[in-house]
Formats: sequence, C-alpha cells, structure tokens
Amino acid sequence: MTSAEPLTAAPLVEIARSLRQRRVSPLELVDAYSRRIEAASNLHAFITLPGERARQAARRAETRLARGEAGALLGVPIAVKDLFATRAIRTTAGSRILKDWVPSRDAAAVGRLRAAGAIIFGKTNLHEFAYGVSNANPWWGVARNPHDPTRSPGGSSGGSAIAVVAGLCAGALGSDTGGSIRIPAALCGCVGLKPTFGAIPLEGAIPLGWSLDHVGPLARTVGDVGLLLDVLSGLDAGRRARRASTHGLRVGLLKGPIVQKVQPRVSHQVEAAAAALRRRGLKVREITIPEMEWTVATQLVTLRAEASAVHRRWIRTRPRAYGADVRTRLQLGTLVGGADYVLAQRMRGRLRAAIGRIFEEVDVLLLPTTPITAPVVGDRTVRWRAGDEPVDGALVRLTAPFNLTGLPALSVPFGQADGLPVGVQVVGPWMNEARVLAVGRLIEELAEA
Amino acid sequence: MPVTEREQLAATARAAGLHLTPKDVSDLLPAWKRYLGLVEQLRAAMTPEDWDDVG
Repeated sequence: MTSAEPLTAAPLVEIARSLRQRRVSPLELVDAYSRRIEAASNLHAFITLPGERARQAARRAETRLARGEAGALLGVPIAVKDLFATRAIRTTAGSRILKDWVPSRDAAAVGRLRAAGAIIFGKTNLHEFAYGVSNANPWWGVARNPHDPTRSPGGSSGGSAIAVVAGLCAGALGSDTGGSIRIPAALCGCVGLKPTFGAIPLEGAIPLGWSLDHVGPLARTVGDVGLLLDVLSGLDAGRRARRASTHGLRVGLLKGPIVQKVQPRVSHQVEAAAAALRRRGLKVREITIPEMEWTVATQLVTLRAEASAVHRRWIRTRPRAYGADVRTRLQLGTLVGGADYVLAQRMRGRLRAAIGRIFEEVDVLLLPTTPITAPVVGDRTVRWRAGDEPVDGALVRLTAPFNLTGLPALSVPFGQADGLPVGVQVVGPWMNEARVLAVGRLIEELAEA
Repeated sequence: MPVTEREQLAATARAAGLHLTPKDVSDLLPAWKRYLGLVEQLRAAMTPEDWDDVG
C-alpha cells in the first residue's frame, strides 16, 4: 500500500482504479480525506462530517475489494449535498427546521451511489433549503471559496464544489434548480453537470421547485462526471462520450443582450475556448436567442411560486425558523398569483421552442456559466455600465434557461480571470449528455494545453 | 382601502395567510416591487397572438 495523501486530489477515475488495483485502501483514503477536511474547516464545506460511519464503510469496502468484487465506485468516498436524504445520517437541508432529521431511507440517487460501492462521505453545506446561490448559510456557516476565502463559492451546492476542489472527497452529489451545480463548479473551478430533467431521479431530494429541480454530479474532471452520471442515471452517456468524435460538430457561441453584461475577462476565456475548438475542427458560429432575455423573469415567477408551495405550511407557521433571505423569498412566493404563474409557463414554452429551433442549426451551445467570477462574500450588487444587477440574479442569468428547458448543461473550468476560475458552459439537446460530455472533455484538454 | 404600495403589500400578504411584522413588510417591499416589474415585462412581451387561445 502507498500513502493515500497524493491521491486525494486525483481524478475520481484514477482513485477508483487505484482502489481496484489495491494500491491504496479505502480506509487510508478516508483517513487522508478526513485529515484534509479538518485542516480546511474554515471553508465550512461540510454540515455533517463523514466520521466513524465512513470508516466502517471503508472497512467493508476493503473486504469486498479483497474478495475481488466489482463496483464502479467500490470504496470511493463521495460527499453528498445535505439536501439528499441519507439513511441513518442527519439530513438538514441546510436549515434549522430540519436540524435533527435522521431519515430512515436513502434518496434514490444516494442509493445508486451506495449500490455502486461508494462510501457516503459526509453531508455538504448548501444555501438554506437550496434556495439561493451565495451559500451564506446562517445556521451552518458561511461557505468560503477555496481559491480565496474572502469570496463566495457560489451555491446552492457550494459545499460540494468546495469539497471537490479542495481535495476533501473524490466526487460529490449536488442539485440544480437555477444553476446550483454549475454556478459553484464555475466559481470554485471544478466540473459540474446538470443532466436532462429527470435523467437522475429526484426522489428523496428535498424539493425546491418541482419543475426545475435536477440532480447531478460535481467532480474534478469531465471523465469523473461521466462515470458518476452513468452510476446515477443507469444509462451510459459517460461511457459513450469517451468514444464520441467531436470533429465537425457545430458549436453555437451565444451572443446577444443576455451575454452583454459579462466581465470582459470572463468573455475573453469563453472566446478563447471557442477559438480553440475551431482549431480542433469544430464549426463555431455566433447565434442569438432573443427569448433568453425573459429568463430571469420567467425563472423568478416559476420558482417563487413552486418553492412557496413546498414550504406553504412552515412559512406561515414558523417564519422565524428561516434565515432572512429565504424567508423573504418564500413570503414573496405566497403572493404569486395563478395568472402570473401561467404567464411564466407560457413564456417558458416560447423559450423551449426557441432553443429547440437553435438545435436544428447547431449541435451544442457554448456560453459562460456565470457572467462574473466569485463575488466577495456579502456583495449584493454587480455594477455594470448599463446599471446595477443583484448578484444572485447575475449568477443565475446564464444557467437558469436550461432549468426552464430541462436541457443537459455542463460547466467546465477554462482558465482564470484575476486569479479566479472561469467556467464555460456546454449545452446540448434533450438527453444528449454524451455529446455535451464529449465537447466538455475536449475543452478540458484544451484548457490544460 | 390600502393606498400606498406598502399598505397594498401588507393587505395582500394578510389575504395570503401571512402574518408579517412591519419589518417583514419593509424587507419584502423591494422584492415585491421587483417582482411586479418583472411580471409587467412578461405581460408586455407576450404579443396579442400569444393570447389568442386564452379566450
């Protein structure tokens, strides 16, 4: 056996291979990650630490590996956003309301991870009830960006992104209602995938917006995310992506008003990614989708109404049990009229049709994941020449369209701006994760070059 | 009859079963105004033909 420490920040596929080849034991790995979590406690990545339960699971995995048993994730420590029910492990949703809830069953996605042999490695911090993108959690600690702890990791799956980037786990599970996987992946510098709506079951994930919620993985490489997707979905898009050719694919580089308010250094990286793809034989052309201008309004009305339906009882009977920002959002949602919700769904249909038409002309869309790099913790406004924009509105502006449409969307790190990571977003047609991952893998390769 | 935006919001919230303190109303008012503005934009964006199948 070799020391596990150098492996802690390795790609998940390499960790899984090392475990299968018995070059490292699950227990060594779990202990190495636990030491790192302790050293990085200032980042507030975890709500519930892996603890002795993870060590017990590691011992069981070790026995199975010694018997030569197979399992795509056998002995691999995977951190889980604390929005997913975990059998016999406290599940808080980042809230005070559920601070003592210990579920009797696993969420479906957690069950699939366990069935593949993964060690459920702690529960990660999130924006309270996943209802926000700052991850400034009033009950469990303000999560901090590993690149610069004065800055936000983004959210709501911020703890999962921190754990991946800081080498505190091999991979992580997140959820995404308006960008909550892709935003922290972009701001922290890892890969995050929001698959097609419904590709990974939502059962056992505490809902936020029923028609917008998605489950997906965060990891250090596109290959890692592909492996996790295959385990979580039961399909083989990750495996197919490894063999897929990208040559000649048509890439639509998004232009128009929705990407006018983007930090110049973020734009520069996206343009650089597009140029690099062109050099590798992909056909890049600029496209506009005017209907995307209505994304923020459509998402806001839809989510406010749906989240307040989820929380309809508690927001009336226990409003003080919520943090101030989430309380205000939920109270606002109770005031959304049925006619307004219907209006938003009609606009959503227009957006879906417009993007659907674009996929008759291009194979993937390319755009920034977020218009800005990680904001300073507590910043509420982004100042543009054209006027101010709320930070949370800016962060979801380029991710939410694909929650509204349910299309698969991947954030891949591509360079930095002022020392902070930049994420580029690749979006594909319905259920075409393989194509999205194949292009993402190429972008990853080009970023390393 | 409520006359100010603040009074209107407080009345709407009461009707929805919310029990808001004066501070809650103050906290909610900017978000409520933004919400109303966005809905108005959505309404304006819908062309007449978008409404043809409604009536």
